[in-house]
Amino acid sequence: MPVLALSLVSLFVAAPVFWLLKPHRSTAFAWLAALLPAIITLWQVLQLPAIASGAVLTERFQWAPTLGLELALRLDGLAVFFGLVVTGIGAFIAFYTAYYFEHDERQGLFYLLLYAFMGSMLGLVWSDDLLTLFVFWEGTSITSYLLIAFKSDYKGAVDGARRALIVTTAGGLAMLAGMIVLGLHVGSFNISTILATPGIATAAVTPVALALIFLGAFTKSAQFPFQFWLPGAMAAPTPASAYLHSATMVKAGVFLLARLHPAFSELPMWFWTLFLVGGVTMVLGGVSSIRYTDMKALLAYATVAILGTLVMLLAFSEKYAYEAFVVIVAAHALYKAPLFLSAGIIDHAYGTRDLRKLAGLARRVPLVMVTMVLAAVSMAGAPPMLGFLAKELMLENFYQLYEHGEWLVGGASFVAAALAALFMAGAILTLLWEAFFRRQPDEEAAHLHHAPSFWFVAPALLLTVLGAVGALFTGWYENLLFAPAIAAISGEAAIVGFKLWHGWTPVFITSLVILALGVGVLLARGLFRRAFAGVPARVSSLAVYDALIDLIYRFAFRLTTLIQGSPMAPQLSVTLLAGVAVMAYALFFTNAETSVVLDSLEIPSVTEWVFFALAIFGALTTVHARSRLSAIIAIGVVGVTVTLFFVVFGAPDLALTQLLIEVLTVILLVLVFFRVRPDPQFGRDRRTPLRVFMALAMGFFGFAVVMINHLSQVGESISPYFIENSLPFGKGANVVNVILVDFRGYDTMGEITVLGVAALGGYALLRSPQLHALRQRINAVRSSRTPASEQKVVEAGHD
Amino acid sequence: MTEIYLRLVDLILTPIIMLIAIMLFLRGHDLPGGGFIAGLVFAAAIELTILARGAEATRERYGPWLAPLIGLGLSLAVTAGLIGIYGGGFFRGMWLEFYVGGGKLKLGTPQLFDLGVMLVVIGMAITYLLRLSEAAEAATRTPTAREGGQS
Repeated sequence: MPVLALSLVSLFVAAPVFWLLKPHRSTAFAWLAALLPAIITLWQVLQLPAIASGAVLTERFQWAPTLGLELALRLDGLAVFFGLVVTGIGAFIAFYTAYYFEHDERQGLFYLLLYAFMGSMLGLVWSDDLLTLFVFWEGTSITSYLLIAFKSDYKGAVDGARRALIVTTAGGLAMLAGMIVLGLHVGSFNISTILATPGIATAAVTPVALALIFLGAFTKSAQFPFQFWLPGAMAAPTPASAYLHSATMVKAGVFLLARLHPAFSELPMWFWTLFLVGGVTMVLGGVSSIRYTDMKALLAYATVAILGTLVMLLAFSEKYAYEAFVVIVAAHALYKAPLFLSAGIIDHAYGTRDLRKLAGLARRVPLVMVTMVLAAVSMAGAPPMLGFLAKELMLENFYQLYEHGEWLVGGASFVAAALAALFMAGAILTLLWEAFFRRQPDEEAAHLHHAPSFWFVAPALLLTVLGAVGALFTGWYENLLFAPAIAAISGEAAIVGFKLWHGWTPVFITSLVILALGVGVLLARGLFRRAFAGVPARVSSLAVYDALIDLIYRFAFRLTTLIQGSPMAPQLSVTLLAGVAVMAYALFFTNAETSVVLDSLEIPSVTEWVFFALAIFGALTTVHARSRLSAIIAIGVVGVTVTLFFVVFGAPDLALTQLLIEVLTVILLVLVFFRVRPDPQFGRDRRTPLRVFMALAMGFFGFAVVMINHLSQVGESISPYFIENSLPFGKGANVVNVILVDFRGYDTMGEITVLGVAALGGYALLRSPQLHALRQRINAVRSSRTPASEQKVVEAGHD
Repeated sequence: MTEIYLRLVDLILTPIIMLIAIMLFLRGHDLPGGGFIAGLVFAAAIELTILARGAEATRERYGPWLAPLIGLGLSLAVTAGLIGIYGGGFFRGMWLEFYVGGGKLKLGTPQLFDLGVMLVVIGMAITYLLRLSEAAEAATRTPTAREGGQS
């Protein structure tokens, strides 16, 4: 049974089902919501022994066999490790969501998005094909966009979501290009095949492909200089923030790098890019986290620091680096999720998560306090939590490098990591002190609206407890969970043996010093916050991004004004002339040897002559019409005559379609002209030489192209194939319909997508006030081309 | 726009046209018809309601369905393609055949796909017809609004 594929399908099917169930009616749905991710988690846990002994589960499905596309899933050490994080944390988040959105009608919609996101993320980490991975990768981009923009009436949420979408999908497209370069070079998009290709690291295309893939990974995982979208994404509802930033979305880039690590880690380009980008991100994120008084923003910058750390660790090919990497991923998921969830509970209970308005919460919400303190101990890297083990391993890695000759790289990274850890410890201690233990807030204190129920806090509490237990009993599971993941990253078998207590090593002493100095940061927090407040807003990648987007808007506006600001007729002339040019080119300059066979021409029958006469009469009437309405009706006559031709030539489907389109078009045109001012000049000004030329040219070339298309034989006709195979393969006697929905299903898919997009565009554009406003803006710009007014218009266009 | 005889026509004809649309859809795989045509016929039925009862009343009746209809249609079409993967490739046609009494009944992914096409066509056509009718009605009610859409 294809369990991997079924797990993914079940998540995507459960998504809309949950929405239809209207889960906001009862918090008992929390259990049901957590059930599916929990089952998938359990199944993965059961696979651990087999995977630890080297077994790998693979499932492959043909997607488009003729193009060599396939959907490939593969459960190895790394996939199951990240998969457990995705569904394990996902189960807790799903449970928590029921309480966070208690009695909220939009809860069902949130579950829909959450499950779709979870499915995409799980598919991503299970992929064994670059293109499959890309599809799921973009799936996470889109669903996370919808999750971040969930509070769609709040401008910050929509802006933050758009920023996240633009940055991550731009990176995703670069990554796709890189993947295609790599896949074409190897001749396969299968990840295992690519990684196993000998000499792939030294191939000529590798630097280009890697650089492009790095762009994708760095934008997704919020690495410098793309880190700015992540704090903006905090506008998401808390369960989404907790899930996206502790366990999933931002780990996608890190996961991809880990996946590619075995083949490319020996390259100097790999080492230096990851080392420098990750290092800068780590220090920047860690140090900035102290600046923020919004709990979620503080946690977001700490997340940026952790992501930088992970990327930096992947630069190395050392035992300690691998161990630190996997333990940090696990520890971070287990402490960051509860911290976010607790921040959400406080937000829920107090109506704010701003530290300036909070104080002395320890007595009011003791359970939240316990959760946050335990999680914070892990984040600060204090024993006996998993976070402590993670930090020890990381520092050990850098210390070993320092000891063994790489004193510059080792020393620099040791100091940088210690600095980032120090500020993160300081930031989380500040959060704890200000929210829970001090007596007086900086500003007017927020009040407790309603105390959180036990089950609201339970998921966060349980996660932190798991983090603590996980650190104390690593021996039970380390070679089942961590070792296979390390083996997949390093490319060779691994055995691990973690110890919390190492003795009085230099690394342990450094840890103690970091903690002590962290308290110092807490005491001097006012100093740091003031120092950061002094940094001008211009000095940030966000400002660069905003300027860039602004530039695009300006360009778009200028272009629109230039080519579409004029009335309808000149615009249409451009389109038609372009059409004439293309047809003329097709006629005169291509296919010299195509021979035109005139034999198949027949003398039209009497009926056909009548239709010709009708059509010509309709066309002449249209040209001579004195009012718009008569012109519309006359042009309708031409359309109906064409329908008659279809009937005569035995094409009932085409005739029906043409007739219906004709009817609806006439109605549409009548409706449109209701809106347009009656034009007393109608019909007077139309016989300008240009228009006459255009009409004649369109008519002539249209006729000629159709004629030649019909009469020339290029290869064999495909019609007999359709007619013969319609019933046996398509199981339909109506060949036209079988072509539309079966033989040429891809085409139709594209067409209805265009229809759908056109409908959305029409829906938005035809809202008359906006259309009116747009029109006025364009007119204003055209009449007075002063820079000042344009500036204003562009700003208005931003909203 | 709410002439009494038009409302009567609407009352009688609209359901009939809708039934015709459904019939055209159901027989489409073997006889002239199919999702695209059925969608247009269905749109024509709703247009009759718009003409008889005005855009506002029509939007009250069908409005909430419109935007989901397009999404649902596209999802159904993609689903039909995805089911094909199970049979060996995206958009591979998959059929189930039943024998009911003496007749043969067949259900296949191409028909599901066709249903998606129909829903998208209905959603698209009605979105435009409703929007334009609303604008037209607004223009007839307030003469100043006519300045707006000059082209």
